[in-house]
Amino acid sequence: MSQPSRPKSPDDQTAMYIRVKRNKTTYFLQCVPSETVLQIKEKLEELIDQPVNDQRLILMPNREVLDDSKSLADQKVENDAVVALTLRKDDNEFEEVNIVRPNDFYQSREGDGGSNW
Amino acid sequence: MKKEDTVKLISAEGFEFVIDKKAAMVSQTIRNMLTSPGSFAETEHGEVTFPEINTTILEKICQYFYWSLQYASGKETEFHIEPELTLELMMAANYLHT
Repeated sequence: MSQPSRPKSPDDQTAMYIRVKRNKTTYFLQCVPSETVLQIKEKLEELIDQPVNDQRLILMPNREVLDDSKSLADQKVENDAVVALTLRKDDNEFEEVNIVRPNDFYQSREGDGGSNW
Repeated sequence: MKKEDTVKLISAEGFEFVIDKKAAMVSQTIRNMLTSPGSFAETEHGEVTFPEINTTILEKICQYFYWSLQYASGKETEFHIEPELTLELMMAANYLHT
């Protein structure tokens, strides 16, 4: 039985989200499975002021580089997926994937207490 | 999505989470910060720092915000919480009125 008060159209912007990570920053982006990777990059452009051509998105943890023209669904990007963002450097190459995890950070600070509450 | 429609939440270790304002407002505490007339510094810069909330918990909270929006629009999935996070997550949720 469908509930009319809860719309379930495929355009529903709450359909899914992905977590785009670079260094210590995570961008939560709402999207739909039929969107292309290019559309995702256009959303990112608004947030980070980097043109789509200078962005590369890589699906974690298998490090598959995502294709601009294909949809998220086609490339098995699912709800809550983690996608690494890398940017083009001055020498025209893309930087390596760099996602800092809080655990790495704890290890590097080992011994200085570190309790938060 | 425009920059103005997002808010940046910063954890105890300085990790940043950029989320939709709509999602952040699932938290009554954040909603008050963002909408109260007595302009918080947070409102103007769209940044909120939580020195008491560690990164793992803050990420889980952001995931919860989005899950909550999905749930409200009819997607009935479960929200998974690792047992070892439960206590800290409850303390943070209490603080955030989430």
